[in-house]
Amino acid sequence: MSTYPMTDEIGRARSSPQLKRRLMPKSVRMALLYVGLWCAFIWCVFPFYWMIATSLRPKEEMFARPPSLVPQSITLQNYVDLLVGAEFWRFALNSLILTASVTIISVLLAVTAGYAMARHRFRGSVALPLFMLYGQMFPPVLLLIPFYIQLRFLGWLDSLYGLIPVYLSYMLPLCVWLMRGFFAQVPHSLEDAARMDGCTRWQAFWRVILPMARPGIVAVATWVMIHTWNEFLYASTFILSDKNRTLPLGLSGLIGQYTTDWGMLMAGGVLTAAPILLIFFFLQKHLVAGVGGGAVKG
Amino acid sequence: MTTRTRETMKLKPHWSSIFENGTGARLYPYLMVMPAILIAIGVVVYPVVSGISSAFFDVTLRTLNSGNMPFVGMRNFEKVFADPNFVRASINTLIWVVLNVVAQLGLGLALALLLHRIVPGIGFFRSGMLVPWVVPSVVAVLTWRWMYDPSVGVANEILVRLGVINDYHPWLGDTATALYAVTVESIWKGTPFVMLLLLAALQLVPKSILEAASMDGASGWRKLWYVIMPQIRVSFAIAAVLTFILTVNNFNAIWLMTEGGPLSSSEILFTLAYKYGFQRFDLGMASAVATMLFVGLVIATTVYLKLIQAKEAD
Repeated sequence: MSTYPMTDEIGRARSSPQLKRRLMPKSVRMALLYVGLWCAFIWCVFPFYWMIATSLRPKEEMFARPPSLVPQSITLQNYVDLLVGAEFWRFALNSLILTASVTIISVLLAVTAGYAMARHRFRGSVALPLFMLYGQMFPPVLLLIPFYIQLRFLGWLDSLYGLIPVYLSYMLPLCVWLMRGFFAQVPHSLEDAARMDGCTRWQAFWRVILPMARPGIVAVATWVMIHTWNEFLYASTFILSDKNRTLPLGLSGLIGQYTTDWGMLMAGGVLTAAPILLIFFFLQKHLVAGVGGGAVKG
Repeated sequence: MTTRTRETMKLKPHWSSIFENGTGARLYPYLMVMPAILIAIGVVVYPVVSGISSAFFDVTLRTLNSGNMPFVGMRNFEKVFADPNFVRASINTLIWVVLNVVAQLGLGLALALLLHRIVPGIGFFRSGMLVPWVVPSVVAVLTWRWMYDPSVGVANEILVRLGVINDYHPWLGDTATALYAVTVESIWKGTPFVMLLLLAALQLVPKSILEAASMDGASGWRKLWYVIMPQIRVSFAIAAVLTFILTVNNFNAIWLMTEGGPLSSSEILFTLAYKYGFQRFDLGMASAVATMLFVGLVIATTVYLKLIQAKEAD
């Protein structure tokens, strides 16, 4: 892959393809490729590295000018400071409860709906999936206001369970859409075989198809988990008191008006990102296939 | 075979056998779809309708408490149009969206082309480049805010060492640079997703076509423009639409770095609507801006998808 448009050469290269090859020897092209790869890699990973490096710095080194690219001494003091207080644990617990409930509810609802949309023909079996796809394109800011009015009306403002329906609004449509895609890939013959053996339609679905579609379900559930864990806008609008904060909200709360303990904040960032990174790198193949499939089919 | 099936069914009647024939069979798919649809109507359809309609009512904390929200027609829109911040936010939204979409697609394509080749160590590079996508957005934004720190930020230090600037600059505190500084973060965060979509598309381009092009002596750029691009056109368009939607709806980056400031220099329509709603508590005005945003998103997306379909048909 040559990097420069060499207009003169194109004319000559047309007549003799071998000439062009010689202009850019393979070793040079490979060297250029690796230079490009390393530049892109550093650009992508550096902020992440900087977060970890900051979280491991002692306080007095934090405000040294100029900042050194590599921490001169390493300490876990920031993590200790963060974890000694009860607050961080509370935020983590809130995030965990919320993530688990939203994931379970949306997966349960999406499994049957996705299956019926993939396998059965009924009134709306064409329009409903499209609606689901459009459902996640609605700008959150438009939903924010009616949700606020409703939650206020119900007295559910500033509560974790009030956030569950709000989160379902942007997880459920995507969930159904992805699930439908996974069920469409399970071969029909399996279902037919189960029915021949005397399963009812429900049993065929519950006992045969569902276990077959497990990788897909895991992928969808993971998507919901990651998104719920990271969500900030709704939580920051509807959660008012400290004790009900989720992790992203708690992190943003560490930014002070005048001074900010960046070491502690970055330590919190590392701990918030850690579960997501772990899940991601274990399930990378499934997740990437899921997003690719879901998006490309759209 | 048939007899055996009947026997088993007789032997073990299961509650679900009511769905096998008659009315049960006809209702079965509806029952399976029902729970999700009901919830979706409750948490998506109803809020969207009520959100759009509240743009035409006087909804403030005062009217909410009294429970009497008078219909005001277009007055919320008039108030919004009269606000100089709205004009500012509209221009900023345009800049924000154009810069983000162009840069993310351009860089995403470049990264996808770089990562497409199978060379030693490519798995390492591919994993590394997904990092910005995987890091939670709040964590990423706060990290960038720290890197932009005016007195000890590493971004300043790197730029000084590279000779780009002479002295440390308050990137987020300067009205001239705040929007662009946030844009850089947003590009960093969004590009890997575009790269992923385009990489998947690139891998479906038949090798034979590329070889044929090389044999005919096509240079890299020509190969990219005349051979690869037409092949990945649809994925490229989808990536463009998705990036557009995600950028318009990107609240975290702006809110957590500048809150739209200083002096509205990085205000976009999303943050403006948020401020109307939850700082001035004029939910009617907020709904008016949100409705305009919604209409714009729907039109842009539909037009774009139609264009692609038309191209497809050629």
